Amino acid sequence: MTDLAPTSSARTAPPRRRMPRDLPRFIVLCLLSVLFLAPVYWMISTSLKTEADTIATPVQWIPHNITLDNYREVLTSPDGNILRWTWNSLFVAAAFTVLHVALCALTAYPLARMRFPGRNAWFWFILSSLMIPGIVTLIPTYIMMLNFNWINSYHALIWPGLSGVFGVFLLRQFFMGIPRELEEAARLDGANSLQILTRIILPLSIPSLVTLAVFAFMGSWNNFLWPLYTVTDVDKMTLPVGITTFSQRYVTEYGKLMASTTLAAVPALIAYLVAQRFLEAGLSTTGLKE
Amino acid sequence: MTVTQAPPQTTTAPAPLPRRRTNLEPYLYLLPHAVLFFVFTVYPIGYGVYISLHRWDLLSGRQPFVGGEFFRNIFTPGTPQFDFFWKTLWNTGFFTLVSVPLLVAAALGLALLLHRPIFGRAFFRAVFFMPGILTVSVMGILWRWLFDNQIGLVNAAREALTGAPPIPWLSTEGLAWVPIVVGTVWWTVGFNMTLYLAALGNVPQSLYEAASLDGATPWQQFRHITVPMLAPVTLFVVVTTALASFQLFGQSLIITNGGPNRSTQSVIQYITEEAFTNTQYSSAAAMGFVFGLFMLVLTAAQFRMMARDVKGD
Repeated sequence: MTDLAPTSSARTAPPRRRMPRDLPRFIVLCLLSVLFLAPVYWMISTSLKTEADTIATPVQWIPHNITLDNYREVLTSPDGNILRWTWNSLFVAAAFTVLHVALCALTAYPLARMRFPGRNAWFWFILSSLMIPGIVTLIPTYIMMLNFNWINSYHALIWPGLSGVFGVFLLRQFFMGIPRELEEAARLDGANSLQILTRIILPLSIPSLVTLAVFAFMGSWNNFLWPLYTVTDVDKMTLPVGITTFSQRYVTEYGKLMASTTLAAVPALIAYLVAQRFLEAGLSTTGLKE
Repeated sequence: MTVTQAPPQTTTAPAPLPRRRTNLEPYLYLLPHAVLFFVFTVYPIGYGVYISLHRWDLLSGRQPFVGGEFFRNIFTPGTPQFDFFWKTLWNTGFFTLVSVPLLVAAALGLALLLHRPIFGRAFFRAVFFMPGILTVSVMGILWRWLFDNQIGLVNAAREALTGAPPIPWLSTEGLAWVPIVVGTVWWTVGFNMTLYLAALGNVPQSLYEAASLDGATPWQQFRHITVPMLAPVTLFVVVTTALASFQLFGQSLIITNGGPNRSTQSVIQYITEEAFTNTQYSSAAAMGFVFGLFMLVLTAAQFRMMARDVKGD
């Protein structure tokens, strides 16, 4: 789907004529890339400068005295611990992802493959919650967290989001496409519904399960507003919220600030480099079927 | 679609025990999610109505009934709730009006640049997509530093090129939107670009071939083939981008903290300030409902498009 090269190159003229025509396009792309990469370059180069050099005039495009002091200080800061926040984010996102995918699969299975009274009514009832903007439930859910005594606990970061239904919708659509003959054959062999789910439906649905898992993980990892207010204890903070406390602390110490944002970006960058191809394909195909 | 029944149910022997088991089964699968759905989606909506009709005071522990007072405040000129709610709602709408056309046009432009094969295509795609993987706080802290009033990169580059004195971007009303909007475009345009690239790949090449034979110029081909063929994805991109823009929160919170003089404060930031800084939970809950109505109008469009995709009965 994303591989456009064969079809398009087939109709264009031979390479010798194409090259000069493509040159302007190539130059424009290079200039745009410089613009897009400049902020990231500036973040990393600032993080490697001494504090005096970060505000030197004229501006230092290339750091003169490269130092790792900012990183050392940020990693050992008594005001917060980036490694601890990274761990919190990882734990919360992993726990959320596993539970979310399991719940969505359990729910989507009967909605897609069984016939029972109230099936469509329930499907449309939960699906209609996609229309409810999150801001409507923000305050009541926060008060519930107070009542449950879940403020400053991982529970607040994991459980409320599990009531989401987009994944149910996604998996139901996929499950419905699986040939019924496979299921009937298994049933004749004496398989019960749970065995059909775990041995036939789920193995055949791995692409959609992985897509949902990636979405769930990214959503939890990048969540900002909710953890900002439900977790105020520095040790329990997630990475996105934790580094904002650094931005309040190092308000004029740009080297340390940029070292902390660089460190906060590293896990996502690594994940992106590993999963790049899959991620972009997943984003471009999910939610938009022609 | 037609759903064939499982063999045990269609057999003529209506043994009561297995039948009952098969009938209960689907509900058992639905149960775990249903419990969470009732606790964290259905109940909070009702609870929110209750909270907004009472005065929620965490300190005194009493919650007297006040009726529609907090909703009336939102619509009564002169109250701080009226002034700030509508001001920040306007700010959010302004941000949406400015950022959506930019995010759609820039995404389409990048996709067109990258659609046909070119040397380094995968690299360019990755470069434009990559900022989107950063969390909002990394993006926000970075863009605040880039537009720093004194020694940010933007002011430094401007001074190096033109010798002009630094501009106090972050503390000038109006100008403070620049880092927020530019940062948001940088941050999210790659996502829309990816959607456009996928859609461009689905446009049949034969249409262009036929048009070239008929002597259509590249502009005419773009105008009469590409744009109409991309209409569905454009609708999708516009609606989802508008929805996301209306949810503006982290960018303006971190880059400008809503300033100067609340000129870049988003309505969500104001609602959270009312709740968590002013501890006016009931007032914030009421605003959540009013703002939720605005969002609902936008979401309805997206929901309708998704419902079109739902196959079956």
